[in-house]
Amino acid sequence: MMKMNFDLDALFIEHGCADSTLAARIIRSIPAGVPVHHVADAREVARPAHDARDPFGAGKRQMIIARRKTPFLMACPAGSSKFACCGYLVLTLASNCPMDCSYCFLQEYLADNPAFQVYANFADSFAELNRLVKSAPGRSFRIGTGELADSLAFDSITGISRELVRFFAAYENLTLELKTKTDEIENLLDLDPRGRVLVSWTLSSDNVYRSSEHRTASPTARIAAARAVLEAGYRVAFHFDPLIAYPGAERDYVRLIDELLDSVPAKKISFISMGGLRMTPALRTIARHRFSTDPMLCGEDVLASDGRFRTFTPLRLKLYRTLEERFRKAGAEIPAYLCMEPASIHERVFGEAPIKPAGLGERLASSRPI
Amino acid sequence: MKADQIDAEIRTLAQDRRLPDSHLERWLAMDPASRGSLLTHAQHLGLRTGQLVSALELLEEIAVRERITVAEILSRDEIRRIADAPGSAPSRASAFIETLRRTRFPRLRKMQERLRAEIAALKLPRGLSLDLPRQLGSDELTVSLRVRSADELSKLVAALNRSTTGLARIFEILGGGSQSDDDENEL
Repeated sequence: MMKMNFDLDALFIEHGCADSTLAARIIRSIPAGVPVHHVADAREVARPAHDARDPFGAGKRQMIIARRKTPFLMACPAGSSKFACCGYLVLTLASNCPMDCSYCFLQEYLADNPAFQVYANFADSFAELNRLVKSAPGRSFRIGTGELADSLAFDSITGISRELVRFFAAYENLTLELKTKTDEIENLLDLDPRGRVLVSWTLSSDNVYRSSEHRTASPTARIAAARAVLEAGYRVAFHFDPLIAYPGAERDYVRLIDELLDSVPAKKISFISMGGLRMTPALRTIARHRFSTDPMLCGEDVLASDGRFRTFTPLRLKLYRTLEERFRKAGAEIPAYLCMEPASIHERVFGEAPIKPAGLGERLASSRPI
Repeated sequence: MKADQIDAEIRTLAQDRRLPDSHLERWLAMDPASRGSLLTHAQHLGLRTGQLVSALELLEEIAVRERITVAEILSRDEIRRIADAPGSAPSRASAFIETLRRTRFPRLRKMQERLRAEIAALKLPRGLSLDLPRQLGSDELTVSLRVRSADELSKLVAALNRSTTGLARIFEILGGGSQSDDDENEL
């Protein structure tokens, strides 16, 4: 199992957070040589160092423990009326990621506050979740912590996953999704999630992993971790996102699926998602500047009608259809959806129109493989 | 020519063409052989500002994709043939950029050619046209009818109806279906 290495230059603790459980855990876990500073307002520290050669990368060497002043729970920021969405709700317990994928949207999304942030008052999110449950009796929700950060990348120093699993295990109509590219699962293995926690992995071909996914666990290690959490009573799901249509991609992704299905039986997979690489022009510029030699950022992408660069449509669709067909041949009816694609593309790939976001969200939350 | 002399000529050319500073910096950041080779081509083909910007961007992207240098790209036979071909400099400059685009987007160009051939094979009458989405950035086909009478309209609609098999094949290719089943590894 790979242990996340943070390479921190400094830890900043906002006033009022020094006595928190989270601060104590983090101080205990980081190397003794990392200086700890106490600051009145963490927002100043979170800003990018514009004089650095790589301000975003420099931000990843600072960690802030602060109080979150805005709600923890929100609708997925990728959602739009243009796309067939999956009804995902996001619980933001951390911001930014110690891994460094060349295509990552956080390079643009968090360009103005790239420092790692973790929230001392994370337990306040449980009150928000309680309110959500009470506001919609009988409905099921899929709630993930892996949008503005990897769900498990900080877990070796925060241990938050244990509190989350215990909380969600008590709610029949909530499903927690821990989305990750790590294999840091040791905090999960001795807990009983009671079928209400789903751990999902982004899976990429070995070529994409080697070229673009820096500091992540290898695809093989991710699959092994999935097998381990499955045996520990968790549900598992897989995101093939971003799919990158480089020459030879179809062959490589089919091999990846074969490797996955050798370890995780198809009927045990709660769902899969797929999404082609898409980049706003601004993200593309930032990514190519930071990772100027990554060929995966120079695919056959064209400006699509949503203002993002995407692989030209027939090639992107062919890749979706190849993966969909491979999973279909596996014999289990695995729920599947496309991320950030319009309904027409969904229909082309799956042969039917997508169901509405709320309905899909409930279906993904409640699908419980045997 | 010495490296500093090449750089001086690049700066002069960039000034003449009013090349943006960011592009000049990228040019000067190339390895010496690539800098010089691009200068030779820019001078020989008389690349205009827009063409120079396109060439720089395309060459950089091809170099990253194929993990080779710009000089190696420019020494390929298909590029040398254009540089050495008879004809006006503007027409050779256009062919040069087009060849770089084809190299940068090989599968897109091949797919566009295939779809255009499918459309041509429909032999649609005058007044009825099918337009592919720009750079195949979507799966929508634009069908246009230009008519001056109800009779003309009926004839074009009938022609369209007779083309349904071919149209279905085009939609299947646009949708990434089996009809688009080129061996991606040969591209």
